[in-house]
Amino acid sequence: MDALGDGTRRLILERLRGGPRPVGELAAELPVSRPAVSQHLRVLKEAGLVTERRNGTRRLYRVDTDGLAEVRDYLESFWTDVLAAFEAAAEAEAEKEDE
Amino acid sequence: MTMHATETDAIRKTVTVPLPVEKAFNLFTAGIDTWWPYESHSIGGEKTESAVFDVEAKRLYEREADGSEHDWADIVAWEPPNRFVLNWRVNPTRPETELEVRFAADGDATRVELEHRGWEKPEERKSYDEGWEVVLGKLVDAT
Repeated sequence: MDALGDGTRRLILERLRGGPRPVGELAAELPVSRPAVSQHLRVLKEAGLVTERRNGTRRLYRVDTDGLAEVRDYLESFWTDVLAAFEAAAEAEAEKEDE
Repeated sequence: MTMHATETDAIRKTVTVPLPVEKAFNLFTAGIDTWWPYESHSIGGEKTESAVFDVEAKRLYEREADGSEHDWADIVAWEPPNRFVLNWRVNPTRPETELEVRFAADGDATRVELEHRGWEKPEERKSYDEGWEVVLGKLVDAT
């Protein structure tokens, strides 16, 4: 199972980096339906990337940093993306200066 | 908490860019809005407008169009144009992990080395901390 191979799941993880969130709030901000968000959260939970906690009647989801190997994988691809974007910008900047 | 990260477990990435060190450092930090993929790599997603390295407040955060802010990290070392170190928050309710970014001259270019460390298991960290509490407790008892 490739929990991180899906763009929406990565967006969900990014949202949760700011703190625990309920499924409804996540769905409101993402271009997918609430059942779809629930389904993605289930996959992330099974992969050890997200935990669920009941808070009264609400269920809050958060990044599970106890699932270290999985969180490392997530950040491994996170930094790969970020540095690729930085490299592209630096190359554009260097070209601009050459002109 | 920097001393007991397991080195083998650190994430390491290197990229060489065709800019001098100072320009590379400035593009990465002050110029972050021109390149960071906020849409996919920020808490607010499409709503994120900018990220701010507030060196005075030792804080790195993202800001959304409506003015709301989300912390990314505490700035723990700031040595332009050579390196900076952040306490990167993956989960705001858990201990931080440490992110170091170094900028080293490589001819006319700059080698950017990123290291994300601090991946010891939380339970190990806990027993480590508790171990010190026991030791310190004994010291207190002895006085």
